Amino acid sequence: MILLDRVTKMYPNKSVAVSGINLHIGPKEFVTIVGSSGAGKSTLIKLLTREEVQTSGKIIVGGVDYDTVESNKVPHLRRKIGVVFQDFKLLPNRTVFENVAFAMEVSGAKNKDIKRSVPKVLQLVGLKGKEDNFPHEISGGERQRVAIARALIRQPKILIADEPTGNLDPKNAWEIIELLLKINRFGTTVVLTTHNKEIVNALKRRVITINRGRIVKDEEQGRYAV
Amino acid sequence: MIQLIRIMKTGFRNFFRNLWLSTAATAVMTITLTIILFSYIATSALTSTIAQVVEKIDVSVYLKDTVTVAQANNMKATLESTPNVESVTFVSKNDALLIYREQNKNNKELLAAVTPEDNPLPQSLAIKSKDVNKIDPIIAVVNRAQFKDFLQEKDPVSYTGERKKTIDRIVGASNFIKQAGLLASGLFVIISTLIIFNTIRMAIFTRREEIEIMKLVGATNWFIRGPFIFEAALYGVIGTVISVALCYSLVLGAGPQLGTYIDTQNITNIFKSNPFLIVGVELLIGVTIGAVSSLLAMSRYMKLS
Repeated sequence: MILLDRVTKMYPNKSVAVSGINLHIGPKEFVTIVGSSGAGKSTLIKLLTREEVQTSGKIIVGGVDYDTVESNKVPHLRRKIGVVFQDFKLLPNRTVFENVAFAMEVSGAKNKDIKRSVPKVLQLVGLKGKEDNFPHEISGGERQRVAIARALIRQPKILIADEPTGNLDPKNAWEIIELLLKINRFGTTVVLTTHNKEIVNALKRRVITINRGRIVKDEEQGRYAV
Repeated sequence: MIQLIRIMKTGFRNFFRNLWLSTAATAVMTITLTIILFSYIATSALTSTIAQVVEKIDVSVYLKDTVTVAQANNMKATLESTPNVESVTFVSKNDALLIYREQNKNNKELLAAVTPEDNPLPQSLAIKSKDVNKIDPIIAVVNRAQFKDFLQEKDPVSYTGERKKTIDRIVGASNFIKQAGLLASGLFVIISTLIIFNTIRMAIFTRREEIEIMKLVGATNWFIRGPFIFEAALYGVIGTVISVALCYSLVLGAGPQLGTYIDTQNITNIFKSNPFLIVGVELLIGVTIGAVSSLLAMSRYMKLS
């Protein structure tokens, strides 16, 4: 599903963010990436969402070789990958419903389909009844659910969650993780990055540890060790 | 098609959800368009007032009573073949009396002073020139030896010397005012475009995060730009409506009162006969300023691919 072959990213100031990363993540896997701040997690995620372009190496996601994607096709690429961020990145002037609907609007979906799909996804993430609220009117946990709903609405094969629990209290954080596990059970590959030791240790799933831009550990049923 | 409708819908929604910002931007747009329309009005009012003043400058040549109609017509024909002469009209003693009566119809004493039997008014030739700057050659023709006996002894030509200088000054001033008016309008347009550009730039700056989010969710550049451009164009449309309404009510309402000082007839006519042209041009200017400003202001936030 995700294949990285000797991927290196060097920033213009010559600092190396990730170097020689080889990584394979199969379909329906639930993978956690851990590492201290500045280890290269964020760069890795940005390479997957094509916010950054690798300096060398090959990236293939969902059968698409990123080297062959022209810049005007990047929006189409992003529509196939669901991404959830630490700071939610919701559109502040749009309601919960509109935020989720936006993801469908950009790909030209019909109004009829939007009206049918959005309530379903909102129910799935537990936000029934919040459709008309604006992001500033709901809690952090609920905002993250909106972001997840927005990522799920296009039924992506891959969901990337970049520290989704970073801004949440433990109770809300767990609810988000449980939601991600549920999504994974439906067949979506989930790539999660986190700093939360308890969560990683309780998950008992594959853990990839990054340090100074390199993969230092890759274990099935791993533990948090940074 | 559905994308276009969505872009417009989003533009409308943004307009109303950021009502403060929209109001501010629309206000600046309204002021700009009003200034543009006003400088146009002012320039054409001045131009037409001056044109009328200049038009009124014609040369009258007063003839002795002994000159026959045939002789006067002969002189008239000579003048008509002179370059720069627009027209020559023969005003007989009787015509002069009629004009006099018309001018003084409210003053009985003056009317009684002049009767058809005892008419002191001279017959004359009224000459209109094509270009008031070149009147001297016409006067030269009048002063030819062959016409010398026709002319009245005292002040045969209705202006000479000092008045010529006044006319020259008016003509010079009118050219200056035309150019100054054009320059001022141009300057106003540039200044207000800059203000609008800045307003829209700030509006977009406050929403740069939104633009980034839309990109990350997979929106194409045009899907992001569209609503912003539409919203800015909307400022132009509303600004046009307000400014045209303002100028129309001012010109048509206050025009008659101002009529004594400047020539408002011309402006009123322009407004009455070309409402679609005025609205169309204003709309074009407003929408263009809005759309181009927002496009420019957004370009730096669109770089993140």
